[in-house]
Amino acid sequence: MNESLISPFNITHPTAVQTSLFASALFARFDPSGRYVGAGRNNGAAAIWDLETRAPVRWLEGHVKAVTSLDWSRNSRWVLTSSKDWNVIIWDLASQCDPLQRHATIRFDAPVLSASFHPRNSNIVLALMSTGEAYLADLRKEHRSRVELCEILDDSEDDGHNKNRSAMTVARFDPSGKHIFIGTSSGSVLVFNTRTKIMVARHKITGAGGMKGFDFVKSGRRLITNSSDRTLRQFNLPHYPPPNPNGEYLEQELEPTHRFNDPINKTAWYAMSYSPDGEWLAGGAADPATHKIYIWDISNDGQFASALDGGREPLVHLHWHPNKSSIASTTNHGNILIWHCPNPERWGAFAGGFEEVDENVEYEEKEDEFDIEDEEELLKRKMKQEEEEVDVDTLTEDAAHRNLLADGTQLDDEDITWADDDAERDTKEFKMKIFMQEDSDML
Amino acid sequence: MDVRHQDTEDISNSAVKNDVPAEGPLPSPFQSQTENSQLPGILNYKLRYTLSGHTLSISSLKFSPDGSIIASSGADKLVKIWDTDSGEIIRTFSGHSEGISDVAWSGDGEYLASASDDKTIMIWSMELGTSVKTLIGHTNFVFCLNYNPNSNLLVSGGFDETVRVWDVARAKSLKVLPAHSDPVTAVSFNHDGTLIVSCAMDGLIRIWDADSGQCLKTLVDDDNPICSHVKFSPNSKFVLASTQDSTIRLWNYHTSRCVKTYTGHVNRTYCILTCFSQGKYIISGSEDAKIFIWDLQTRQVLQVLEGHRDVVLAVAAHPKRSIIASASMEKDLTIRLWYDREF
Repeated sequence: MNESLISPFNITHPTAVQTSLFASALFARFDPSGRYVGAGRNNGAAAIWDLETRAPVRWLEGHVKAVTSLDWSRNSRWVLTSSKDWNVIIWDLASQCDPLQRHATIRFDAPVLSASFHPRNSNIVLALMSTGEAYLADLRKEHRSRVELCEILDDSEDDGHNKNRSAMTVARFDPSGKHIFIGTSSGSVLVFNTRTKIMVARHKITGAGGMKGFDFVKSGRRLITNSSDRTLRQFNLPHYPPPNPNGEYLEQELEPTHRFNDPINKTAWYAMSYSPDGEWLAGGAADPATHKIYIWDISNDGQFASALDGGREPLVHLHWHPNKSSIASTTNHGNILIWHCPNPERWGAFAGGFEEVDENVEYEEKEDEFDIEDEEELLKRKMKQEEEEVDVDTLTEDAAHRNLLADGTQLDDEDITWADDDAERDTKEFKMKIFMQEDSDML
Repeated sequence: MDVRHQDTEDISNSAVKNDVPAEGPLPSPFQSQTENSQLPGILNYKLRYTLSGHTLSISSLKFSPDGSIIASSGADKLVKIWDTDSGEIIRTFSGHSEGISDVAWSGDGEYLASASDDKTIMIWSMELGTSVKTLIGHTNFVFCLNYNPNSNLLVSGGFDETVRVWDVARAKSLKVLPAHSDPVTAVSFNHDGTLIVSCAMDGLIRIWDADSGQCLKTLVDDDNPICSHVKFSPNSKFVLASTQDSTIRLWNYHTSRCVKTYTGHVNRTYCILTCFSQGKYIISGSEDAKIFIWDLQTRQVLQVLEGHRDVVLAVAAHPKRSIIASASMEKDLTIRLWYDREF
C-alpha cells in the first residue's frame, strides 16, 4: 500500500541492516506473508518472531535435538520443524494454548536433515534423512501413506546390487508442488512426479560435485543449485513429461545459464535465495571471518551487483523476503539480521503541496494562473469536479493475498488437483491471535 | 470489579426502549414494504434505545468488530460496554485516574484500548474483565488511538504533539514520531497496516510509513482550520477529514486533491468524530445537537437525526447493519442507538 507513495526507483536489493534479533537461531525463514520469521535452535526449540514488534510471539518446544529446518504453510497457519531427533513436528499457530502444543508428529528412522510442506497442501510432507533417503508422507485420510522416493538406475550398469545409487542430499518441492527435485551426492538432479512418486527425469550436472542446496524462482522455471565445487549454477528447467507407465524417464544434461562463484577467495556458499521477482540472487558466503552476502543482478545478465557486509559474526544462513526488498541472514552466534533498503528521508513530505525536484526546472506560468476569478465561478467549478464518483470500498488485492487464492493456472492438471484434495485448512485466511506477555519476559 | 460497583450499575445504567414516535402505531409489515419500494435509497433511521450511565461528557463510541457490543468512554474516567441488540449495560471498566478521550477495539474484539488524560493507555480484556496492560510514555494527555489490522500494534496521539507506536503485548513503545506542532487529534492505520494517518490542531494531515516512521505526505487546506478527525476510507485510497470550519472533506492523498466536501453540520469548537457507513454514507455529529448523514457520492444530506440535547461528539456506524450510535455532552449524557427500518 505504501509503495505508491515511496519512490519506485528505490526498490532494488537490500543494502543495510535494519534490525537484529537475538534469537540464538541456526537459521531463519520468512513466512509467505513476510510478517514473521521462524527460527530453529540448537537446543530443539523453534520460535516465531513478529517482525512488526521485533519480538518472539510463539515458542515451539517439542524436539530434543537441534532443529534442522522449518517450513510454513501457504496461509502461515501451519509450521513444520524437522530435527536431528528423527522427528518432524507440525504446529498449528491458531491453537490458543500457550506454550503451543504440537499438532502432529511424523517419526522417521534417522535424523531428519530437512522437511517441507507441499506448496498447496500442508498435509503432504517431504522429508530428507541424513542417511540419504527422501520420503513423501501424506497425512490425508484418503491418501494416508509414506513412500520412499527411489532413483531409477540404468539397466546397463545394473550388476545385481544397487551400488550406484548415491545418497540424496537435497530435497525440495518446486513452487507448484507438481514435482520434487532431489539433489544427490554424485552431482545429479533427480525430478520426481509428486502424485505418482516416480522419477521423471535425471539431470547430470558436470563438474558440480555433491549437491548442497536448491532454490527456485516463483514461476518455477529457473533453478539455482549450490554444490560442493563452491559454484552456484542457474538452470532453465525443461517441461517434464507426465509419468510414463513403463518407467521411462528423461535423461538430460543441463547446461547452466549462469555460474556464480567467488573467483578470488573461492569461498563456498551456505545458502542462496532469489528475490521475489527473480531478478536478484543473494548468496551467503561461507567465510569464516566475516558476514558477507553477494548480490547478483539476474536481469542484467547475472552481473555481480554488490557485497553486503554484516559485520564480524560469520553468516550461516539467509532467506529473501517473499515480497519485499529484504533479507534475513543468520550469524553463527544465532543473531538474525534483517536487511532492508532504506528510503532517503524526504523532508519535502512535511510541507503540504511541496514537491522536491532533482534538478532545477524552469517554471512556466500558466496563462490563467494569476487571473482573478469570480468566487462563485470557482465554487461552481469545484462542485462540478466533485460530481465525479469515487470508489472508497474496492481493495486492490495485495500480493500476499493473491498468493493464498488458487492461482487459476492448470486447475485441470491432475498432478495439481491431486494435492488440492483436503486442502481447505491452507486456503482459509489466518490471523495469529495476540497473547499478552508477562512483564518478566522469557528469552 | 467489586460487588458494590456492580450494584450501583444496575441502578444508574439504564436503557430506555424508545417506542415509535408520535406519528401513530407501527406500520404493518405490508405497509412498510410498499413504503420502501416507493422511496428507494431514502434513509429512515429512528431512535431505538437511549442509554444512560455516564455522568460526564461522553467522548468516544465504538462498535466491536462484529458489531455485537458498543464501547463508550467519557470524562467520568469510565469505559462502558453495551449490548447492541438490547441496549443493556454489560460492564463498566474503571481504572484511569483522569477522563478518557478515546477507545479502540482490537481486530478480534478481545481487547479494548482506552486513551486518558492521565497520560496512559490501558488495555482491557473482555474475557478477564480487567485491565491487562498499561502503556506509559506520553508526556501529556493521550487523545486518540487505534489498533493496526493485526492488532499487535497500537498507534496513539496526544497533547504532547507526538504520535507513538506501541507493541501491545509487551506494553512497549516502539516509535515516537515528532509528528505535529500542536495536539494530535486523530491517528489511525490503513487497512493493511502499512500507513498511518494523523491530524492535529495545527491543521495538517500527515501520512506516515508505518514500518520506517517516515513522513510520506502532508495534506493541508488553504486556510489551515483545526483538524478534528481523520481516517482512511475502507480501501485506504482516500482519507476523510473533518475540520473546525464545519466541513468534512474526502481527500485523494496521492494527488493531494479534495474530491468531496460535506457541509451542513456545525463544527467550530470540538473534535467531532466522523465515519463511513456501508461504503455509501458519511455520518457525523454536530454542535447543534444533531447527527448528519450524507450520501457519499452526491454529498446531499439524506437524513438529520434530532433528539440529543447537547453537542454530539461521537458517532459510530455498525460494521454490517444499518445501526448508528451517537453520544452527547454534559447537558444530555446519553448514548442513542438509531436503527434504519430494521425491526
